[in-house]
Amino acid sequence: MKIKEGYLLREVAGSNIVVPVGEGAMDFSGVITLNEVGAFIWKILETGAEKEEIVEKMLSEYDVDKTTAENDVEEYIRELRGADLIAD
Amino acid sequence: MLKKIKVADLTVNIDLKYDKTIKQSEDYVCEFDKPNISIYIPDEDYISLKEETPYLSNEDIEYIYTGAAFYEALLQFNGFMLHSSGVVVDNKAYLFSADPGTGKSTHTSLWVKYFGSDRAKIINDDKPAIRMIDNKIYVYGTPWSGKTDQNINMKVPLGAIVFIERSKENHIKQIEPKEAIPLILQQTIRPREPEVMIKLLDMLDIVLRNIKLYRLGCNISEEAVKVSYNGIKGE
Repeated sequence: MKIKEGYLLREVAGSNIVVPVGEGAMDFSGVITLNEVGAFIWKILETGAEKEEIVEKMLSEYDVDKTTAENDVEEYIRELRGADLIAD
Repeated sequence: MLKKIKVADLTVNIDLKYDKTIKQSEDYVCEFDKPNISIYIPDEDYISLKEETPYLSNEDIEYIYTGAAFYEALLQFNGFMLHSSGVVVDNKAYLFSADPGTGKSTHTSLWVKYFGSDRAKIINDDKPAIRMIDNKIYVYGTPWSGKTDQNINMKVPLGAIVFIERSKENHIKQIEPKEAIPLILQQTIRPREPEVMIKLLDMLDIVLRNIKLYRLGCNISEEAVKVSYNGIKGE
């Protein structure tokens, strides 16, 4: 799975924000704010990855147990899907 | 006719046909060789714009679209527009930003009334330009100031950005950059091209890290000015 085309993640004054660009910018004029873990997962999903791969990367980046990492990743993916930001 | 103007320290060749923009540009006329920006609306664009917005006169179309062209180009020169009414007091510009109809202009006009027109001036009543030059953040007046003709061709350090809303009681509080990001993005031109959006976001990063940001709830009174000014001055 992968983040859909047309979104840009950038750090602005300490916040990780996502804004639409290109065609998508016409339909959606909001801003999405991600926390640190959210931004980490987003960056992995920009190039495309499956859940297991994201969990692996979470485990090597953060001091967190596997169950927590899996739950976090699943929750983020659910949220991103809910916001229609993921293309399979 | 071709006019040469200098806006926000940028040289602009602009082709103007109608009185409104010509008049608004008078204070910005300047001689130079090379333009940083060239603005020209072809005749056929008037025809298509007229179809989109039939309620606008050609004169209004010229004013709106030359402004939009300038502010779009501004993004390439370390600058952006903030939809706000800007008032200058003691050589600092305070920008009051909000959706149309909230009362930005009303609030800044109260500042002019309170401080007097010698000490307080409207630099641009609707669309001031902000530019980063030599690590400093400046506000500039421009010929495009919305419905009013209130703008001054001057450059002043940015003092604060205040997001304004109507309220029965007057109150002000400082806010974090995080809270200001969506507010500021709502009140500027959001470029669609990713590389230009990056430029805008990197400018906002600098502005939000260095400039004090506030939320102001205000009514129409002298007290509103005192609450707002004292809040910004930290008194």
